[in-house]
Amino acid sequence: MSDLNAAPDAASSPLPVAVPRVLEIRFTGSGSEYFRIWAVNLLLILVTLGLYLPFAKARRIRYFYANTLVDGQALSFHGDPWKMFRGFVLLVVLMGAYSIAGKVSAVAAVVAFLILCLVWPALWRASLQFRLGNTSWRGLRMRFEGPLKGAYLACVPSYVPALILVASARGLDPEAMKAAGGMTPALMLYSLASLCLFVFAPWSLTLFKRYQHNGYGIAGQRSRVKLSVATVYLLGLKTWGVAILPMFVAGVLAAVFFGVAHSLGDGGAAVGSMLVLVALSIGYLLMFVVVMPYGAARMQNLAWNGTRSEALSFRSTLKFRSLFGLTLKNWLLTLLTLSLYRPFAAVATAKLRLEAVTVTSQEDPADWVAAVQAGHADATGDIAGDFFGIDMGL
Amino acid sequence: MAEAPRLTANWFDGRSARARPVEVWCDAATLHFGDHSAPLRGVTWPERQRHGQRQILLPGGGLLSFADAAAFDGWALASGRGDSVVVRWQQSWRLASLSLVLLVAGLAAAYRWGLPWAVDRAVDALPASAEHAISQQLLAGLDRDWLQPSRLDAAQQQAWRTRWTAVIARARANGGPEVPPYFEIHFRDGGKALGANAFALPGGDIVVTDELLKLLDDQPDAVLTVLAHELGHVQHRHGLRMLMHAGAVGIVASVIVGDFSSLLAAAPAVLASNAYSRDNEREADLYGRTLARAGGVDASRMAVFFERLAQKHAATVGSNPLAIAFSTHPADAERIAFFKQEAAAALKN
Repeated sequence: MSDLNAAPDAASSPLPVAVPRVLEIRFTGSGSEYFRIWAVNLLLILVTLGLYLPFAKARRIRYFYANTLVDGQALSFHGDPWKMFRGFVLLVVLMGAYSIAGKVSAVAAVVAFLILCLVWPALWRASLQFRLGNTSWRGLRMRFEGPLKGAYLACVPSYVPALILVASARGLDPEAMKAAGGMTPALMLYSLASLCLFVFAPWSLTLFKRYQHNGYGIAGQRSRVKLSVATVYLLGLKTWGVAILPMFVAGVLAAVFFGVAHSLGDGGAAVGSMLVLVALSIGYLLMFVVVMPYGAARMQNLAWNGTRSEALSFRSTLKFRSLFGLTLKNWLLTLLTLSLYRPFAAVATAKLRLEAVTVTSQEDPADWVAAVQAGHADATGDIAGDFFGIDMGL
Repeated sequence: MAEAPRLTANWFDGRSARARPVEVWCDAATLHFGDHSAPLRGVTWPERQRHGQRQILLPGGGLLSFADAAAFDGWALASGRGDSVVVRWQQSWRLASLSLVLLVAGLAAAYRWGLPWAVDRAVDALPASAEHAISQQLLAGLDRDWLQPSRLDAAQQQAWRTRWTAVIARARANGGPEVPPYFEIHFRDGGKALGANAFALPGGDIVVTDELLKLLDDQPDAVLTVLAHELGHVQHRHGLRMLMHAGAVGIVASVIVGDFSSLLAAAPAVLASNAYSRDNEREADLYGRTLARAGGVDASRMAVFFERLAQKHAATVGSNPLAIAFSTHPADAERIAFFKQEAAAALKN
């Protein structure tokens, strides 16, 4: 193999490429083309009663990859839809069993919840392994190398309060609560766990992002991320600050409508309560359109700006204003067109978010060679991920 | 035979990231690139699209990348690689629009015929014990969050139960409709949130609020007709049907609207379920009227119930045509007429 490589290599690269160099990311997908792919995919899913779903997903990923050019070379997806089909069936069985158990009995619901908690980190890792392992750039496969233990550790701050919450909810007894004047140990534990779940959310998010961004690899590159818990908490606080705005708007609207309705007297009361409902709905929608883009844009920048590998560094400059404008437009048009705009929205969002990232390389990627497969410490996870083709992400 | 058409590509061998320009051509069962070849059967061809790069995935992890998409499409066609049916549909606006029309028609048909059929089969397959377990859990949840113990004393509750048992017994004697094997009436205080209300849970537990009994204190026949209506929900297993129906619609909606937003996906599910719910209400009305009539109850007293409910909500949404789409029950006037119809028919008999 090595002598085969040597001759054309020498011929095709007479000049050394200047380093460091910027690897620009371009997204060339078109909404109208993806619209047609989406329409045919949906019809096939309906005709096959949902069984076509993994095949539709593989086609969608291939379309998005073929249109994602990094330094002029597209990504490729090697995932086998039949393997993805196995993963799909596994997930359907798991989620089906979970929702049925929840309806049949409270004990079964708790048991199903515990089982789901137990397998979720392994599934998450397997899906990352499958997705990255089936993505290539310039013929080199990417890898996900996060250890299984890390996936479980990342879940601890969300799991511990959630388990206490579920356990103490079983102990909530209305009779005992009345006897103790409202505050029983179970209720105190329940409230404390809810509070912890809420307060720990940025910590959890940090651990999830760290786990992902510490595990990516291609050729000799292995990603490392610097992401401090404090910065994510700061972002969480700012997001709360942003969330106050839609709450304020909704409150003012509701108050105005309420006042107007009262001045109109009896007949106005019903109209007034409708309008208050409308005001609250507007506030709710604004939450999605303002708060989610803010959190998403800032988090993408934070995570990718802290990520680097031996030769690569990333820079993400996604602006809140652009993502906010796009999200607002996507929402309105998707609603007005009864979801026909959905594929256009998906393409536009991918373009904005991908093209906000640039990669700087200290080496010429053309010099890279695939990493030698070192002795596999835990092949079981790989096999599970590969066998089931689990793919949970986009 | 003519020379096979050739095209230049960048070959990545899967080991080195360096692109190697090669000439590519096909013969009967083999793809040739430079000095190498691969059997056509092991090769993944790209789908024709207007945008994006064309890549042929080789067995063993390598790939051929073609920068000029149009040139690739011409070459692939000349090499005997036609488009698959799916690609032809995707590339044509007319066929893509047709698939949307077929999709909407298919969804409508599935909603109209397929879903009720599937729900019927599922309801038949689910054992009564599972339904009862669901009911117990729902009632426990309602008791925790929405309901208070009834303020009616044991004697008052017993009086209502005796009247109700008498109606059932009379209906049975008069050849009334079949009565479900298990049902039980629970008295609860509905508080402000639920108010004057009665509802049947899947499995046969019927909850009636103190507020409803107070509202119809002087109209026992209306109360008994309400209970007969709720028994209709139990007999036709509407609660379980609703659960399965809403679940199925929710899953389909989330596939179409996708990960975009759970809120958008919930809206069509709620609207579709409300239409289904109105059909169930009509079915329960019919059962309730028949049972009440067989049990010697004057079902036309239901009119009083609707009038008083309407008085309670000063401006009701019942007469607003837009509100019907958002409402779970048929409009009041329609139902009053339905229950009065019986009185006229009874007079004629």
